Amino acid sequence: MSTISKPKQFQLPRIFPRPKSHKGLWYWLATVDHKKIGTMYGLVAFFWFLVGGIEALLIRLQLGQAESSILSPEVYNQMFTMHGTTMVFLVVMPLSAAFFNWIVPLQIGARDVAFPRLNALSLWVFIFGSILMNISWFVGGAPNGGWFGYPPNSSLGFNPGHGITYWVMGLNILGVASIAAGLNFIVTIINMRAPGMHMMRMPVFTWMTLITSVLIVLALPILAVAGIQLTADRIYGTNFFNSEAGGDPIFWQHIFWLFGHPEVYILILPAMGIVSEVLPTFSRKPLFGYTAIVFAGLVIGFLGWFVWSHHMFTVGLGPAANTAFTVTTMLIAIPTGVKIFNWISTLWGGSIKLNTSMLFSIGFIAMFTIGGLSGVTHAASPSDTQQQDTYYVVAHFHYVLFGGSIFAIFSGIYYWWPKFTGWLLDEKLGKISFILMFIGFNLQFGPMHWVGLNGMPRRIYTYAEDMGWEGSNLAATIGGFIIAVSVLVFLANVILSKRNKQNSGGDPWDARTLEWSISSPPPHYNFVEIPKVNNIDDWWYRKYPELLEGNNQNFKKQKIEVEDSSNVDESKIHLPDLSYYPLIIGIGLTIAGLGVMYTYALVAIGLIMVFWGSIGWSTEPVNEDSKEHH
Amino acid sequence: MDWWALNYGGNMSLLKDLFFYQGNKWWKIPETTELSENPKNEHPFGGFLEKAKNILLILSSGKGHAGPVYYWIIAAILGIITLIEVWWFTVPELRYMLAPAMLIFSIIKFALVVAFFMHLRFDHKMFSTIFITCMVVGILFFSVFLLLSAFHGLGT
Amino acid sequence: MSTNVTIQHGEEINNSTGVSAKKLLMWTFLGSDVMFFGTFIATFMAYRNKSLVGPYPEDTLNIPITSVSTFVLLMSSLGIVLALHYLKEARMGLAKFWLLMVIIMGIGFIGFQIYEFSHFANMGMTPQVNLFGSTFFTLTSLHGAHVSLGILWLIFLLINEYRGNLNSENAIDLEIAGLYWHFVDIVWIVIFALLYLITANDGVPPGGIPWIGGH
Ligand SMILES: [Cu+2]
Repeated sequence: MSTISKPKQFQLPRIFPRPKSHKGLWYWLATVDHKKIGTMYGLVAFFWFLVGGIEALLIRLQLGQAESSILSPEVYNQMFTMHGTTMVFLVVMPLSAAFFNWIVPLQIGARDVAFPRLNALSLWVFIFGSILMNISWFVGGAPNGGWFGYPPNSSLGFNPGHGITYWVMGLNILGVASIAAGLNFIVTIINMRAPGMHMMRMPVFTWMTLITSVLIVLALPILAVAGIQLTADRIYGTNFFNSEAGGDPIFWQHIFWLFGHPEVYILILPAMGIVSEVLPTFSRKPLFGYTAIVFAGLVIGFLGWFVWSHHMFTVGLGPAANTAFTVTTMLIAIPTGVKIFNWISTLWGGSIKLNTSMLFSIGFIAMFTIGGLSGVTHAASPSDTQQQDTYYVVAHFHYVLFGGSIFAIFSGIYYWWPKFTGWLLDEKLGKISFILMFIGFNLQFGPMHWVGLNGMPRRIYTYAEDMGWEGSNLAATIGGFIIAVSVLVFLANVILSKRNKQNSGGDPWDARTLEWSISSPPPHYNFVEIPKVNNIDDWWYRKYPELLEGNNQNFKKQKIEVEDSSNVDESKIHLPDLSYYPLIIGIGLTIAGLGVMYTYALVAIGLIMVFWGSIGWSTEPVNEDSKEHH
Repeated sequence: MDWWALNYGGNMSLLKDLFFYQGNKWWKIPETTELSENPKNEHPFGGFLEKAKNILLILSSGKGHAGPVYYWIIAAILGIITLIEVWWFTVPELRYMLAPAMLIFSIIKFALVVAFFMHLRFDHKMFSTIFITCMVVGILFFSVFLLLSAFHGLGT
Repeated sequence: MSTNVTIQHGEEINNSTGVSAKKLLMWTFLGSDVMFFGTFIATFMAYRNKSLVGPYPEDTLNIPITSVSTFVLLMSSLGIVLALHYLKEARMGLAKFWLLMVIIMGIGFIGFQIYEFSHFANMGMTPQVNLFGSTFFTLTSLHGAHVSLGILWLIFLLINEYRGNLNSENAIDLEIAGLYWHFVDIVWIVIFALLYLITANDGVPPGGIPWIGGH
């Protein structure tokens, strides 16, 4: 540090004081702590999970019997559109983001993400974007064009009103949140690793987060462009998808699925990461084929870019294109199979502990394999011609997204819950909720395979009695309600376990990775001392050093306690201070988004807020004590 | 006896690396125990960029670090290429070659700015990895897309 | 556990690669922006020569004027490397001068664009009239938005330079702004070749092989 006193940094006059206390509403609004942000991501996404679940139940109620009229066709369209959009963008992605936030800095031995305020910005933009999209229910009808929003059905001529515009604006705003989070995690994982944590020593969940973030950062801009083009068509009368002016609605399909297929891996790769953490922990054995799993993830991330037209086999791209995309799509089965066999081999010969988390992970492997195999059947373009837009496809992607992603997310919730809170979830209720979910899931989506092959189309609001689809649909509806009960059991589990708290300690599972080497819940600075990493699964080999010497028969556990943070001098802790500017930018962006649909005055107000937030952000010191600037 | 060892003798390091964890048998434990600093040049996606960098090195004869004169020279080259582009456009006899020529010129300009003004040529290869990965994915991806739309229209 | 550990979060504490996190963020963002502009450019190329009604590119595009604005933007890239170079050497006068020049050139470029847009509007070319208009205006105006954002950023840095808050110690702040600026410049290099030079030639009867596109 130079001795010459620097001129005082300019600061925006503060309208609100910078919060200092680590309690209360203000703290939660201005926090930059990755753990608090992860918690908020999780809570908000779980709320949307319940909303999307209710939408699903309404759909199932309507389809439970032939020619029922619980939902009108118009409302039915809104229901399935919002169910799909909610579950993809407001549930699975942010729930994964909640895990990224909570776990990744702990797994790589960092005190926080690389850009804590940017992280807060992602959170607030996500929250307000999700609210904006759902406002549409109350102002003249929700979007009703399907989660893929194909024009001309979603063009102004066929779909007047604000529903689709809300959908596009919502997606664009959510895209900003996702891209910001993706950038942040790429930098965090590359640059914030503890000493010795080489790339090939990182836990698989961190690896999958990195690959997912790369996919987010590359794929979401494409959706943003599609959104801008559709918005421009609807609001400014441009011609991107207007066939009267030579525009081609098929172009939307290309551009949407250019984004849409990488998106599928954005949804599933974090789940694969979670499972790769849970299985070795409860098999008490290293992950089989760590390198293979990592490279399979990289290969999936790359190949995922060149398969999008398998969503368009019936569009008429011609045999050459259909064949090419059949081949690339089938290629993806190889790295996916590599992963599945590696997980099974991880279980093989291990001393398996079948608790709730492990059950969900094993359920994941089974359900995801079924979904993957039905995926191979429509990777072949001739057979897909029969399956396109039938319930068979619905069955397929629910097996990979519910049986895959959601099962893995529940596995992760049960696995990391003690790390989040410091207490355990009840195993008995947990197992009940797993069994209910497993039965309900298969009852709901299993029959869809054969009604689909029987010809039942997607997105119809009802069907005739003599089609022979009633039994299967009734079963599916009952299955849906069993899943709902299982989610209620999970919520009851949380409430009851909180009431009679069972203290977990820092490392309840005798686990392998660094997040378990500190107390639970972790102090806000995470590690008292940044760990030095000697090994893959470093924490495990610190506990069982004899394993490293080749003694894998009668090895003993070393007496190593998790890090004690009780007598750390808090005055010496210099972490980034709270900041409310991310919140302001988030609100401003959403107001500007609303303004695009209604009036430019709102756009101006929103942009002024964004400007104010940005200037405030870049002139406030990151930490008031150290006067360090970002 | 190990099936792999029987069939492939001792020469199975790739398979071992990929599927046999890091030890001799799949249940065994990795052998690396040393605490070493993270290599300064470590980057996640392998070393294919070394080759791309070598091409740049040849192109630029590998001068040490850049100064203002050097920047002015690059700017002059950029300006001259732009002049050639516009000139090319005005000559009717050359127009049939316009599209490929413009593509080549713009790629050269692009590379010059990225390599020298953006310092990618002198900087940590992590940055090249990230940027070139994105460029490669993007270019491949959009080429496939444009090919599709060129041969089939956009579907009809 | 020792009680006298100072816990601090920042690049200098945990930095596994030795590179600046901000710079890494900017490069990653630029990679992301490649896809953003890539999609727009791909849209433009896919819809090239598909307009059903005029005005067509060959009637509207004014190559001489755009060449000048292209040149201005190219030279602003030179300006910003010089500004960074002098800032690192703590030659503040020159650093400020070149940063100011970059801002002026950027504003000049935007001025050209506004002139161009109004000129097109006068000729009856709007985003609504045909596919060329739609694809052209969205791509160039979003590029313009990037330039404008860059100008605001550079003005902010220039003010900091005058107040003494930006100096050779934190030259990295100007460096990442420079990366962004250069990126906007290289996007324009591509746009100038594809949207202007090649497209303005579209209506001309092909004398040879239409290598890429053409009627
Ligand atoms: Cu797909």
